[in-house]
Amino acid sequence: MSETPVASRPARRSWRDLDLRAVAPFVALAALILFGASLNPNFVSVDNLLNVLSRSAFIAIIAVGATFVISAGGLDLSVGSMSAFVAGTMILFINAAPVGGDVALIALAMTMALVTGALCGLANGLFVTLGRLEPFIVTLGTMGIFRALTVWLAEGGSIAVRSQEVRAAYRPVYFGELWGVPAPVIVILVVALLGAVILNRTAFGRHVIAVGSNEEVARYSGIPVGRVRTLTYVIQGVCVAIAVLVYVPRLGSATATTGLMWELQAITAVVIGGTALRGGVGRIWGTVCGALILELIGNIMVLSDLVSEYLIGAVQGAIIIVAMLVQRALSRGR
Amino acid sequence: MSAPAPVLEARGLSKSFGGIEVLRGIDLTLMPGEVHAVIGENGAGKSTLMKLLSGHLAPSGGEIRLDGARVAFAGPVAAEALGIVLVHQEILLAPDLTVAQNIYLGREIRRGPFVDDPTMNAGAAEAVAALGAALDPRIAVRRLSIAQRQLVQIARALLGTRRVVIFDEPTASLTPRETEALLGVIREIRAGGAAVLYISHRLPEVKAIADQVTVLRDGALVTTRAAAGLDPHAMAELMVGRDVSKLYPDRAPPETAAPVLEVEDFDVPGFVSGARFRLGRGEILGFAGLVGAGRTELMEGIAGLRPGRGRLRLRGAPVRFHDARESQRAGVVYLSEDRKGKGLLLGQDLTVNLTLAALARFTRAGLVDRGREAAALDRAIADFDIRARSRALDAGQLSGGNQQKLLLAKMMLLEPEVVIIDEPTRGIDIGTKEQIYRWIAALAASGKSVIVVSSEMPELIGICDRVLVMRGGRIVGELAGARMTETEIAVLATGASEKEAAMMAESA
Amino acid sequence: MKKLLLGLATAALVAGMASAQDKDVTIAVSIPAADHGWTGGVVYHAERAKELLEAAHPGLKIIVKTSPDGASQANALEDLVTQGVDALVTLPHNSDELTDPIRSVKDQGIFVTVVDRALSDPTIQDLYVAGNNPELGRVAGEYLKENLGSGDVVVIRGLPIVIDEERQQGFDAAIAGSGINVLDKQFGNWSRDDAFKVMQDYLTKFPKIDAVWCQDDDMAVGVLEAIQQSGRTDIKMVIGGAGMKEMIKKVADGDPMIPVDVLYPPAMVATAMELTVANFYDQVPVRGNYILDATLITKDNAEEFYFPDSPF
Repeated sequence: MSETPVASRPARRSWRDLDLRAVAPFVALAALILFGASLNPNFVSVDNLLNVLSRSAFIAIIAVGATFVISAGGLDLSVGSMSAFVAGTMILFINAAPVGGDVALIALAMTMALVTGALCGLANGLFVTLGRLEPFIVTLGTMGIFRALTVWLAEGGSIAVRSQEVRAAYRPVYFGELWGVPAPVIVILVVALLGAVILNRTAFGRHVIAVGSNEEVARYSGIPVGRVRTLTYVIQGVCVAIAVLVYVPRLGSATATTGLMWELQAITAVVIGGTALRGGVGRIWGTVCGALILELIGNIMVLSDLVSEYLIGAVQGAIIIVAMLVQRALSRGR
Repeated sequence: MSAPAPVLEARGLSKSFGGIEVLRGIDLTLMPGEVHAVIGENGAGKSTLMKLLSGHLAPSGGEIRLDGARVAFAGPVAAEALGIVLVHQEILLAPDLTVAQNIYLGREIRRGPFVDDPTMNAGAAEAVAALGAALDPRIAVRRLSIAQRQLVQIARALLGTRRVVIFDEPTASLTPRETEALLGVIREIRAGGAAVLYISHRLPEVKAIADQVTVLRDGALVTTRAAAGLDPHAMAELMVGRDVSKLYPDRAPPETAAPVLEVEDFDVPGFVSGARFRLGRGEILGFAGLVGAGRTELMEGIAGLRPGRGRLRLRGAPVRFHDARESQRAGVVYLSEDRKGKGLLLGQDLTVNLTLAALARFTRAGLVDRGREAAALDRAIADFDIRARSRALDAGQLSGGNQQKLLLAKMMLLEPEVVIIDEPTRGIDIGTKEQIYRWIAALAASGKSVIVVSSEMPELIGICDRVLVMRGGRIVGELAGARMTETEIAVLATGASEKEAAMMAESA
Repeated sequence: MKKLLLGLATAALVAGMASAQDKDVTIAVSIPAADHGWTGGVVYHAERAKELLEAAHPGLKIIVKTSPDGASQANALEDLVTQGVDALVTLPHNSDELTDPIRSVKDQGIFVTVVDRALSDPTIQDLYVAGNNPELGRVAGEYLKENLGSGDVVVIRGLPIVIDEERQQGFDAAIAGSGINVLDKQFGNWSRDDAFKVMQDYLTKFPKIDAVWCQDDDMAVGVLEAIQQSGRTDIKMVIGGAGMKEMIKKVADGDPMIPVDVLYPPAMVATAMELTVANFYDQVPVRGNYILDATLITKDNAEEFYFPDSPF
C-alpha cells in the first residue's frame, strides 16, 4: 500500500499550502490597481479609492449574502428588485411615520427595512424548500414581483425622502466618516467579517457548505437541509436590507432604476471571488474582492481615455473573462 | 447436427485495475444456439468478464477469439459491429424519447436531411413484436414499466444481426411474471442460433434457462459444467466454497440479549412490508438478501431517511424518526452503502467530513472549535488507522477502505447505541476488511448493538450472531448457529428450494 | 406638411373646444412601462388625461396599456386592436422595431398618433406629437455658451439610442466654435445611481470643471449629490433636461447650481391624446406634426411648469 499514516500533528502551514484559488482574486485586484495607476495617476489617490470602495458597498454587501445562497447550491436573482422594494418601503415609512425625533425615526425605519428584507428572503427560501421549486424560477418570479411593487408604490416615478431634516440626519450613513474611513466601507468590513465568521467558523456555515457540496450526504449526516437552505435566503434578504440602509442616504430616493442588474453584478462578484456556482465552496473575502474589482473596472474606464464611451461594456466584459482565466490558470497548479 | 464451431472464446483472459488483479486466466467457450450462464458472488469478476467480452474494457492478458480468430475490440461499438452486444443491468434509455427513438438512437434512419420517423416506428414495432410483446413505438419510454423498458433495451440490442448476446443480471428489477417473459425471449434468441451469455444471482432462473454454467470465484474460474447436472443448491455451494475463517474475529455471542431496538409491522411503501425483528444489546445482527430485496430501504426507513410506517421501540420506549437528525440524537446511526453519494463530502477535507454529523459537539459559544476538531481527527486517524498522504486531502482522494474508515469514525463521534452498517466492505481490499470486522466485533463487545447489511454471505456468517434473510421486501427467515450457512442463506434469499421443487415437477 | 410649434397652451385650447357631442369612440394608448422618471411621468400624464377626457366626453373610452419592452409592446398593440379601437396613441419603445406592428394597425383603418419617437416610415402616422430632441441639446448648449462664455464642461449622456444622439448633436452644434470645451462624455443610462458614479469619477479625473450637461433631470439628482460630497466649488452649474418637478422647484427657488432647465415634458402624451380626441369630437383638422418647443425654464417662468402632484 502506497499510502502512509499521516503525521499525528498538523504540519506547519507553509506557503506551498497556500490555496491559489483563494488568493487569485486578490492577485487580480492588485493587477487591476496597477493597471489603473498606469493610466491615470489620480486613480490611486486616496479620495478616488475611497469613492470606489464606498460605491462598491451595495454590491459587496449583497454579494456577501449571495455567497451564502450560492455556496449552499442556490441562486437568488431577485436581489436587485428586492433592493428597490426595501428602499421604497423604507422611504414611504419615513415619509408616513408620525414618530418624532430624526434619529429615532431613522432607527425605526432601519429596523423595518431589515425585517422587510428578511421576510422577502424568507419568502424566496420557503418557495424553494417547501415548494420544491427551482431557485432560478422562484427568484425570477419574485424579481418581477418586487420590481413591479416598487414601481406601483412609486406610481411610476421616484420615491424620495420628503423631510429635508431627516435627509440631513440620515446622510452621514453614506457620506460620513469614522477615523477617516467612509461609513460604507466600515459597513462592508463589518458585514464581511460577520459573514466570514458565520460561514467559516459556525456549525451553520459548515452545514451551508455541506448542503452545497452534496445534499444527500448532508441529509444522511442529520443536517436539516431545508432549514439551512431557507436560512441562506433569509441572510441574503438581510444583506440586501443592509445595502439599502447605506443606499437610501446617498440619493435619498428609490426609483424604478434602483438595483437594476444588481443581481448579475452580485453573482459575478461571487464567482470572481472564487465561490463555485455549483455550490460547496464559499469565500466571503473573495466575494468582497470581486465586488471591488467590478467597481474598479467601471472607474478605470471613466478615468482613462482608453476607449470610446460606446465600447466600455465590451472592455468590462473582456476584463472579467480575463480575470476568470487567470484564476483558472492559477488553480490548475493545485 | 454436426459438431458446431464455437462463436466466441476466451483464453486465459485476465484483467487488472491499478495492480490489483480482478480476473485471472479465464477460459470460456460459447457455442451458437446455447445459453451459457456465469454465476458467482459479488466481486467474483462476472461483470468484468462481460465487459471484456463486449469491448467495454480491454483485457490485461489472454485473448478473445471470434470464430477462431483472435480479436481486439476498440470499444463497445466495434464489438457491436461484429455482432456482440451487451444488455446492461441498468436501464440506459432516454426517458423522454419514444420507444422507436430510443431503439434507433445514434443510428437513425434518414430520408435526406430528415429522420424518417414512419420507417423507424414500423421497424421498432417489428423489433418489439419479435420479442413477443406489443408496444406503441411512439410512446415515451418514461411511461413504460421497468420490464417494458428492459424489453425496449433488449430490442435495441437485438436490432440487426446478433451473434452473441450478453445479459448482465437482466432480471434484477423484474417481477416473476416479467422474468418468465424475458426467459421466453432468451429461448427465442437461442432458437435463432445466437449464443447467449447470461449472468444472474438467481440460481433457479439459471437452472431454468442455461445449457452450460460457469462458476467464478475471486476472479478465477472454478468450473464449467452442463446445467443438467447441477441444481441450485450445488450451484450455491460452488459459488461460495472457500476457507475464509481467518478473516473473522473470534467472538462469543452475548448470553442474554436484552432488546435495544424492536421493530414491528414496519412498512416502507414500495419496498418493504411487515418487517419485524429485535436487536439485542451487544448483538451483531446480519441482513442478507439479493440486491433489491429491500434491506437498505428497511434500514433507511428505520433511521428516518425515507418514509416508513410501523412500530419502533428503542430501549422499550416507542420512537418515530422523521429525519436522520432525530434518529442520530436517539442514538441510532445508519452508514450508507453509497459512501460517495451519501456518506462523505468528496470535495471537502478530512476534518470537515469527520465532524459533520456531530458538529454540535465541537462548537463553543456558537463557533466551531478547530483545535478540538484537529484533536478529533488525530484520534480518528489513530483509532481507525486511516491512511492518507496528508491531512489536507479531500475525502474523495482517499482509497475506498480509508473512506469507509473515515465514515465509521464520523458516525462514531455521535456515540450511538445502535449502529447500522450497510455493505461495510463493498469495494474494499481484504486487509481493510479484516480491520473493519475486528472493529465491528469490538463495538458489539463494548455493549453497542450492530446491524450489518451485506450481500457477501461469508462476511455475514463470519461476524454476525444471527442473520435475517429478506426476499421481495419481506423478512423470509432467520438463521443462527449451525444453520447459518451460505447455502441456507442462498436458498432463503433466492427462494431456490420452492422453485427447485416446481422445476422437478416440470421436468418429470 | 404643416408644422406647428405648440407649447402646453395646446391643452387649454383643446379643452376649450370640448363639446357635449355624444359619440362612442374607443382610443387605445400604448406606452412604455415606467422604467425611469420620465416614462413614469408619461404613465402618470396618460392616466390623468384619460380621466379628464373621459369625463368630458361621455361616449369616450380610453384603454391605457404599458409594456416593459418593444417586443411586448408589439404584442400589446395586437391585443388592443382586437378589442376594436378607433384610434391608437402610442409612444413606441423603439422606432425601427415597432414601425411594422403600427403599420398593420394603420392598415385596419385606425387613426394613428405617434408620440415622441417618430416611425421609420412617417407616412404611417396621422398625427405626430413630439418634443424636440436636437432643440433640447441646442437650448442647453446655447445657454452655456451665453452664460459661461468659455470653460470646461463634462457631459453625461443617456443610453445609446436615437434620442440621445439627437440631443448630443444639437448640443455639439450649439457650442461649436465657442470657448466651451467638452472634457469628456460618458453614458449614465438615465439612472441617478450611474450618473452619481460617473460624476464622482469626473471629479477625480478633472481638477477643474465649470459646468455639467446631463440632459436629464433624473441624472442631475445623482450629479448634484456627487458634487456636494466632493465639496468642490469650481462647478458653476448643472444643466439637466425634461422638467422634473424637483428640478423645476430648484430653478424657481433660484438655486445657483440649477439656474435653468430645458423642457421635454412627459405630458406630451396628454397633448397627443387630447388632439386625437379632438379629431373625433370636434371639427378641427389635427393631422400633421406637432413639435413641442424645448422651452428654457428660468426662474421667471418656472411656476408655469411646476406640477407638485406629478410623480415626475
